[in-house]
Amino acid sequence: MSIRPCALESEAFQALKDVYDHREKAAAQWRAQGGKVLGKLGFDVPDELAIAAGMLPVQIYADPDRPLTETDKYLEHAFEPVVRAQFEKLVDGTCAGQIDYLAISNSTDVVIRVFLYLRELKRVEPDRPVPPVAFIDWLFTRHRLHQARDEFVVRLFKEQLEEWAGREIGDEEIRAAGALCNENRRALRAMAALRHGGEVRIGGSEALVIMGAGLFMEKQAHTALVEQVTRDAGRWPILTGPRVFYTGAEQEDTGLYDKIEAAGLVVVGEDTNWGSRGYDRDFDPSLPAIRAVVDRYLLREHSAKKSTVAQRVEALDRAVDAAGARGVIFYTNQYDEVATWDMPRQRASLEARGIEHVTFGQMRWPVDRNRELEETLAAFAAGMKGGAE
Amino acid sequence: MAEERKAPASRSAVVKKLKATKAASVYQKEWFFSMKERVEREGCDFAILNADVPMEIFRAMDIPFVVNQWWAAICGAKRMTRKYFGLMQDNGYRPDLNSYDAQALAESFDPDDHKLDAEGNPMGPWGGLPRPTICITRLTGDVQNKIFSLLADNYGADLYTMENTVARTAPLNWYELAADRWEEMYDTDRIDLAVEELKELIRWLEMKTGRLFDINKLQRVMDLVNEQEGYYKKIRDLIASCHPVPVTVVDTINAVMQAQWQRGTQWAVDHARGLYEEIRALADRGEAAVPGEKLRMMWLGRGMWQDFAFYQRFEEKYGAVFMWSMYLAMGADAYIRNHVEQDPLRALAARFIGMEDFLHMPPWNSSWFLQQAKQNDIDGVVYMIPDNDIQAVEGSYFIKKNLEEAGIPVLAFHADPVNPKKWNAETMTGLVEEFIEQRVIPSKEKKG
Repeated sequence: MSIRPCALESEAFQALKDVYDHREKAAAQWRAQGGKVLGKLGFDVPDELAIAAGMLPVQIYADPDRPLTETDKYLEHAFEPVVRAQFEKLVDGTCAGQIDYLAISNSTDVVIRVFLYLRELKRVEPDRPVPPVAFIDWLFTRHRLHQARDEFVVRLFKEQLEEWAGREIGDEEIRAAGALCNENRRALRAMAALRHGGEVRIGGSEALVIMGAGLFMEKQAHTALVEQVTRDAGRWPILTGPRVFYTGAEQEDTGLYDKIEAAGLVVVGEDTNWGSRGYDRDFDPSLPAIRAVVDRYLLREHSAKKSTVAQRVEALDRAVDAAGARGVIFYTNQYDEVATWDMPRQRASLEARGIEHVTFGQMRWPVDRNRELEETLAAFAAGMKGGAE
Repeated sequence: MAEERKAPASRSAVVKKLKATKAASVYQKEWFFSMKERVEREGCDFAILNADVPMEIFRAMDIPFVVNQWWAAICGAKRMTRKYFGLMQDNGYRPDLNSYDAQALAESFDPDDHKLDAEGNPMGPWGGLPRPTICITRLTGDVQNKIFSLLADNYGADLYTMENTVARTAPLNWYELAADRWEEMYDTDRIDLAVEELKELIRWLEMKTGRLFDINKLQRVMDLVNEQEGYYKKIRDLIASCHPVPVTVVDTINAVMQAQWQRGTQWAVDHARGLYEEIRALADRGEAAVPGEKLRMMWLGRGMWQDFAFYQRFEEKYGAVFMWSMYLAMGADAYIRNHVEQDPLRALAARFIGMEDFLHMPPWNSSWFLQQAKQNDIDGVVYMIPDNDIQAVEGSYFIKKNLEEAGIPVLAFHADPVNPKKWNAETMTGLVEEFIEQRVIPSKEKKG
């Protein structure tokens, strides 16, 4: 199934797919016009501040075909494969030619280590082409003390952006960027409404392309394309098949979803940052600007990496219900295994509510390196019986 | 050559020459049973703390506790590993992930933990942990939140988490600043936050346990810690200055670590003093841990708990003595915080926030290891890199580079020290022998 001809016939979808397939293109154009590009590693780098600084934020992603010549020198085996591949681009000069600055948020242990290694690498091997790096050291526990600390942390990041941009960033600029991001999130939520509900018109792979393109292009342009594709998708054929929710490893391309869909399943939602979590919770314009940034990033749905097991059980239940899924696919890559601690209780909670599930653990990356994945998915799909809800 | 490299089988017959090592083993058992008896008698709160939680607060408030990693070592020594592996698996968890940190969690799944077998022997380690009412961890890694939230849930205990921050400034000479100039060592806002976190923890503990926090008691605890760690500094400096060394890591690791979990008590001070006096006496008599000492070796990485004899396999053949591990040296350089009386909470904050930095973050760790290698006249470094634990990775490239650029050969290898299935004594012995022959000895000869 994967991406259907009806989607490819949509000019808006084609434009989004072009960005998704050629992820450096928009950034290169931005730089050609004199703009600065901010690379992001981790999923808690506030777009609002980058945009307010006049920069184009783009996500650092892994290239599965690139040999890890430099990475193997610096990183231990415990670094997960996707991050190892991202690191290669950061140290082999690729990113230095594509972005002006790099912001890393402490979204998980492994990217914290990447920051520390890059900082040390710049100190001991200063000739290596690594872009200037900022680190955002959020506290993710939701207490008063930590909320106050996070305002301090966001101010530090703002000051760094100001230094790089060579000018101050005003609160009104942050609010304007917040509004821009909110429009984008609203557009994505409207798109996502066509992934579930009575009639499913947009498949998981198609949604990944629509959402993922936004990580590499201007927000305003992305919003316009998402709105157009949503209008187009209203006429796309309804997808039938058992509806499943995806949770686990980030999916930077559609490879896994293609396989899930080939098994006849319909992915109606996910809690990953390359998916639905990216548009969860708005910037609240009624709050002071910095506090609004903290509010948006601190209080959105719990990530698998920075939460207790109970928080993640509740979060998955909420997301599965909201998406109307009848099954859940758990999928973790080798060395990216924090989420596995949540899964026994998540599975128990799902079972108590009659939700079926299948688990893929210690998977290899990229997805094509896994044997028996298709067979297991097919068996799971067959077991779900009922078809579309 | 292959014949020569063949290693003796792993033995537990490790030479332990110090009375202090035995004394620490005996005391920790007595202490545990006395603490357990008190918890059961009084029905009072009992806490499990992750190793990086500032236990000094609990000591000052007289709240009984055990440290998760210390208890994991006891579970291992009582041969619970296989059973706990099965319990984790039976409950849907990956038993190979963070297995050391998850021993207490595995125990919490054991329905037989407090039972006796048919012969009347306790089935849980030392009869099992008392039922904890408080589980506290710092969020120094993603997995801590998971393990401790499950642990708390299984026991019906309260979960309390403390945050962690990453250093923006990282002085290369932190070990010179730690004791007296600790304000210079950190970003001020990091200490400020840690102090506020301590205040919140104290308030929470007061409400939870009904016990009083007295700043004067904390000061006393902090003074005792300084005194204890001061002896470790004297021991480390003494060993470093001795040629040959009077003791090896086999003698010091357990003696220091078991007492480290008791820090802030008079017993721990007395024990540290006794350890120092014992080693001092050996040094004064000119005793050599390895007669004919030729090569002074540094061990980087976690201790080889399952195979302490490994350290001694190179003594007879090469005169190579493993005389440095982080366990003693951390006591010497990382714990002491003078000027406690000015603000005990701030001094405590300045102790606990740095532990992750010192051990796991370049350049803090790499600069310290080099300084220690120089102080101890190290000829070669054997560095065991954790194989599958992101929390334990520590910039091995930078550590190796720093040491080797200073002319100190490094053997770096990947292994899982707590998983016997992933440890092959013969292979590792062969690796170290080859390293000694091909790099350490030539390097030493070259230096003359």
